[in-house]
Amino acid sequence: MSTTKKYWRSLEHLNEEPEFMAKAHNEFTEHVPVDEFLDKTSLDDTATSRRDFLKFLGFTTAAAALASCETPVMRSIPYVNKPEEITPGVANYYASTFADGNDYAAILVKAREGRPIMIEGNKNSGVTMGGVNARVNSSVLSLYDSKRIQKPMKGGAASTWTEVDAEIMQKLDQLASSGGQVRLLSNSILSPSTNELIREFGAKFGGAPAAAEGEDAAAPTGDSNFKHVTYDAISNAGIINANEADFGKAVIPSYAFDKAKVIVSLGADFLGTWLSDIEYSVQYAKNRKPDGPWMSKHYQFESTMSLAGSNADVRGVVKPSEQGIVAAMLYNAVASKTGNPTVQTGSIGNDDNNLKEKISKAAEGLLANKGQSLVVAGSNDTHVQTLVNAINNALGNIGTTVDLDTPLYLKRSNDNAVAELLEEMKSGQVDAVMIYGGDPAYSMPKDWNFAGAMAKVKTKISFATKLDDTAKACDYVCPDSHFLESWNDANPKAGAYSTAQPVISNLYDTRQAQESMLKWMGKMPDFHKYMQQTWEQYGYQMVKEQVPTFTEYWNGAIHDGVSQIPVSTKGEYAFNGDVNRAAKAVNAIKGGEWELELYVKTSMGDGSQASNPWLQELPDPVSKVVWDNYITMNPKDMEGTYETRTAQETPADMATVTVGEDSVTLPVVAIPGQKRGTIGIALGYGKATVDEKVVGANVFPMVAYNGVSKTLQYARYNVSVAAAGQKYPIASTQTHHTMMGRKIVNETNLETFKSVDAKDPKIGWNQDIRIKDSYHQERSTQELNLWDDFGIEKGHRWGMSIDLNTCTGCSACVTACHSENNVPVVGKDEVRRTRTMSWLRIDRYFSSDADITGPRHGHGASGRDYEKMEDPSEYPDVAFQPVMCQHCNHAPCETVCPVAATTHSEEGMNQMAYNRCVGTRYCANNCPFKVRRFNWFNYSGYHKFKGFNPAQDELGRMVLNPDVTVRSRGVMEKCSLCVQRIQAGKLEAKKQGTPVKDGSIQTACSSACPTNAISFGDLNDKDSMARSRAKSDRSYALLEEIGVQPNIYYMTKVRNRTIAEDAQPVHHGHGHEEETESENA
Amino acid sequence: MNNIHARSLKAALLILPAFLLSFLLANPASAQYEEGKALFTGNCASCHKPDKKVVGPALMGSREKWEKRVGKEALYSWVKNSQGYIEETGDPYAVALLAEYNGSVMSANAISNEEIDLIFAYIDNYTPPPPPPGKDEVSTNAGNDGPDNTWLWLILIFVVLFIIGNVLLGVRKALNRINREKEGKEPLPESSVIESILEYLSANKRITALLVILVLGWGASVGWDALLGVGVYEGYAPEQPIKFSHKIHAGQNGINCVYCHHSAEKGKHSGIPSVNVCMNCHTGIQEGAQYGKTEIAKIHDAAGYDAEAGKYRLDEDGNRIQKPIEWVRIHNLPDFAYFNHSQHVIVGKQECQTCHGEVEEYDYPMKQHAPLTMGWCINCHRETNIDMTNGYYQDMKPDFLEKYSDMEDESFKVEHIGGLECAKCHY
Repeated sequence: MSTTKKYWRSLEHLNEEPEFMAKAHNEFTEHVPVDEFLDKTSLDDTATSRRDFLKFLGFTTAAAALASCETPVMRSIPYVNKPEEITPGVANYYASTFADGNDYAAILVKAREGRPIMIEGNKNSGVTMGGVNARVNSSVLSLYDSKRIQKPMKGGAASTWTEVDAEIMQKLDQLASSGGQVRLLSNSILSPSTNELIREFGAKFGGAPAAAEGEDAAAPTGDSNFKHVTYDAISNAGIINANEADFGKAVIPSYAFDKAKVIVSLGADFLGTWLSDIEYSVQYAKNRKPDGPWMSKHYQFESTMSLAGSNADVRGVVKPSEQGIVAAMLYNAVASKTGNPTVQTGSIGNDDNNLKEKISKAAEGLLANKGQSLVVAGSNDTHVQTLVNAINNALGNIGTTVDLDTPLYLKRSNDNAVAELLEEMKSGQVDAVMIYGGDPAYSMPKDWNFAGAMAKVKTKISFATKLDDTAKACDYVCPDSHFLESWNDANPKAGAYSTAQPVISNLYDTRQAQESMLKWMGKMPDFHKYMQQTWEQYGYQMVKEQVPTFTEYWNGAIHDGVSQIPVSTKGEYAFNGDVNRAAKAVNAIKGGEWELELYVKTSMGDGSQASNPWLQELPDPVSKVVWDNYITMNPKDMEGTYETRTAQETPADMATVTVGEDSVTLPVVAIPGQKRGTIGIALGYGKATVDEKVVGANVFPMVAYNGVSKTLQYARYNVSVAAAGQKYPIASTQTHHTMMGRKIVNETNLETFKSVDAKDPKIGWNQDIRIKDSYHQERSTQELNLWDDFGIEKGHRWGMSIDLNTCTGCSACVTACHSENNVPVVGKDEVRRTRTMSWLRIDRYFSSDADITGPRHGHGASGRDYEKMEDPSEYPDVAFQPVMCQHCNHAPCETVCPVAATTHSEEGMNQMAYNRCVGTRYCANNCPFKVRRFNWFNYSGYHKFKGFNPAQDELGRMVLNPDVTVRSRGVMEKCSLCVQRIQAGKLEAKKQGTPVKDGSIQTACSSACPTNAISFGDLNDKDSMARSRAKSDRSYALLEEIGVQPNIYYMTKVRNRTIAEDAQPVHHGHGHEEETESENA
Repeated sequence: MNNIHARSLKAALLILPAFLLSFLLANPASAQYEEGKALFTGNCASCHKPDKKVVGPALMGSREKWEKRVGKEALYSWVKNSQGYIEETGDPYAVALLAEYNGSVMSANAISNEEIDLIFAYIDNYTPPPPPPGKDEVSTNAGNDGPDNTWLWLILIFVVLFIIGNVLLGVRKALNRINREKEGKEPLPESSVIESILEYLSANKRITALLVILVLGWGASVGWDALLGVGVYEGYAPEQPIKFSHKIHAGQNGINCVYCHHSAEKGKHSGIPSVNVCMNCHTGIQEGAQYGKTEIAKIHDAAGYDAEAGKYRLDEDGNRIQKPIEWVRIHNLPDFAYFNHSQHVIVGKQECQTCHGEVEEYDYPMKQHAPLTMGWCINCHRETNIDMTNGYYQDMKPDFLEKYSDMEDESFKVEHIGGLECAKCHY
């Protein structure tokens, strides 16, 4: 049986507000001002008379006729010396590495004629395993950012390398001889060669040799006059500190989400932004399939709805101040059964979400899976992490799912060292500071007064790529090159190495930071050479026996991009943590009426790519809002004070959040699932400007430094929230389409899945939709055809199967599609007019078990009674569903096109010929899935889109895929199923003279998906993965009842719950039979 | 007199090679000679000539030299893999030879000993082709091969006829007047030609109507054709920065198309050869038959090659001083049409000439042979059979047979695999 959940796309929809419902039936929710445009007065007002109009017409016709007479002369300029590996028209792939201090991914860069145009995952990587996230695959656009610093700068003015180098070298040499203090403040550097270089640099300019190694490289070094301090905007120092205290190893361990049968996450968004999120997504998805031998059970306790939280089987909400108490309660529940001492716990103030029960259930699950479970926490509070360590230790997870032997080297920020550095700077002890990576002036807490500290330093050198706040405060800016222009290597976790190679020459007069350092050290500024030396010195020594020459080893390493060295150390880790002290510390935290969580957004990360328009226009997975950050609030909390936005034309109410002396005024957005009494604001905004306007507001200054835990704290426990009385237009992508009360996201629970037949006509959880034909015979929609069938079982039939169980909503597919298909960026204003252009969108549905409009069938208990027990709209389940053109075999769009611009292919695709399209938009009207996009403007030319549409920028244009047409105004477009890739794949097969092998063709979305939720293939190929998935029990088609027979299939979402668990909050433990009845009602 | 002389010379020139040819044919070794020639053109001709130094040395007599010096086997291994030979034996002569030719290494050849023998048999019996026609010849040919003069003649005839017609009309008028004067009638009022034509037309309404219809019909037809031709550049032959002749390269020298347009087999573009491809031969060949040194000097200029010194010009940083050649693009397919050369050349097994015409006959400038319209593409897709021996199509054959069971034979055309669909070319 499927559940009775009713999905709704906004609160107005749920409440069925008449205004909304009236609009929901229209294609365009906003009023199209045709009358205004065509009425008599406005025509009378125009300066153009009929005669003028005819004159213009005549002139343009004549001009057009004249223009067409002449052959346009085009030049074809071949290479003078063609590089051997480049063939015009054929893409090259280079293995490389993305590492910006915040994210890591082993990638493949697709380059056409020497221009990088697309980033995909490197499947050979042992860490990211071919996955990418939206921030990684969008980074190719950041390369072509014309706002990058294009020249070295001195004192805020453009300078030359010769001048800058000479002055810096003179100053550094002078400091070295006089014993001056030099500091390097960088974000987490993954590159072993760079770390080696920094050590050498320190030795040269700091006097004493700095002897830090491996994971300790992040720690300040020795008594040297040179110190390297690591600072990340998003710090995870709490984990490192706790591990040092508890296990004697100051590292972030490797987590194995794929080995954990029960996962409990305390506010860690491990699918979206926490630590190595790509790696965890891949691991997580492995055992989230109900058809596998086992399916993991995921509990999430958090305050703001995160990506991980929206994927959880059981989600409990908790205030940030009480997160430690949850950890303590969980510890007690586990400790009492494992013979460990229990601790004192505080109490949960307002448990409106069965939190206690959920915790005890989670503990039961953990105890039943000792050594095969995992508890993680997102908090940066050392004490919370200690409690988590204690739980994992009690469960015997250390060494199984928590691997301290293979530490993760990402995000090794040392908050305490940064605080000390700032003190040092403020006291005037630091003579020179170099800032490499990150933008501390933007991202440091206000309390730290970075600007004040900088003012006391005599020489300030920045390696910034953009003229950010930090670079502006520096004397010298020596712009670093983009990672696609640089040599580099990375060591994301012990034993895993990867390399980065330049795919394009420097676009500007920049120099990669390492080469600047080499230059100042008086060495050859050639980091390629330097890197080779370190690889020869370390890596090659290990494989000398097998590989005869270093060149061969080096070429192999660069070609593959990734290499793995077995980690041999096997440490014994005894838990020495002080749980009582930790418990006392977390119990002592005082909450307030309002609590603020500063969270990291999936699309924006730490804000280093804030000027990337692809990321700005990528809808937040949960709120679906673009181009802004905002205050997330539970709709129940908004009642009476703030309007929940009803539609696009209604601006959101703004509120002022005050923390201590700081305040920020932002729009309020209703997010069901937000813990009541808490709000969330995303970090990473308030940095980039578009059209001279700053996007969002920067809330990094509100981050607090916790002196007890010696870490940065991303939650504020007592804030005041007050209506600001202002309105603000906010743009979100999900109010365009209505799919009401139908089988859209089909969902069931694991117990039902295992025990009930999918197609059981009464209680099946994936029943065929049957409707009555004109003879009143009930028949399946497959049999009811208005049209003749295409010969779809012959030849190829391209299609997809999308597994809603493993789709985490991460949105990597959306940006991949933008990148592959030249999808324009339209800007906030157009999104507000419901004119977003994404070919692939991810629909997010909140669920509600209650039917709040009236009593249910056959039961005494009315929906309103249930509402009293637990208001479902407060803390709903979430489901994500990627929707692109469904490539219907009976496509409704094809039959209404008056010019046959959209037609069906022999291979099952619905194709769109732009040049044939005259723009009637009938097809969009007739599309039941609302996936067709109309080009209202010439986005690549019209001035409105200048500044953010990459196609308008001389350089940004270089990112366009030359195999895909850039559409012009007045034509319809939509997902083509990456027909250019299909054609290329078929051509390759034909050249080889072999059939197309399953998996050899991947669409942009399926290749980007870290969890393989999207599987593309030939549905007629007996061996294809897509076919076997499309034929499975879980498979169904979207809106089956309308009989359009899509070639895209979805797989039923199965949450790992029992029937009782699923039903419990609804019916006080009633059986499931009743539910089925109401389902059919 | 001159003409007769030239004609007899031409005849003699034609006969001479025929004589030579018959002589060679009579020779029992001539079949081998032809085979050797084919092998030579295929494998060696891009760098060697039998009687002239080009990129590599002249080969005439080298067999004898080598056999005497180090023996036959050494020669074989030298030809097959010169680098390997040097590494193996360190033969000082070979090393010196390599140095003499600026270290341009001969690529390894996959040929057998027998083939090497055949090649040298050709080289040693090589007879130079007849010299290119002299200046005399060119001037006499000018009348035949020069620009088309038909229009000039037509205009001339028209002018002459117009004058004659006018004169005759004047004569007729004068005679008429004299006649009337004689008969004592009043002279007719003077009327211009136009007035008289109008008078005639108004008197003969049917002819007028017919004429109007004819003129309108002609106008419509011409207009329609003109509109159809908008954007169609069949026969487009723009001036190019270098007077490159396909006739000399592909025709006379028989260089394979894909030697220069190598990406035609790999990707969507056939590729305009980069200058370094030109330099493969033109390091050695510095003078052409048609334009002497001027055009080849332009290649050297682009490549930064100093032909006198036999070296590349370098700037301070040691980079070559070079600049690209800006060719004028002839075949301009619109951006919204995707065309892939390798699809047609490798999978479709189409000859280049199918779309580009007899390129080996085109002298400078190169021209567009086909209209490159969608109708032209589609037409070919309707008529061309697919190669069912390809493993890809083999695999799909059962499906085809079932799908097109009404077809009489198994000659599946491109259209049967969806070759007429929009999204095969437009995406």
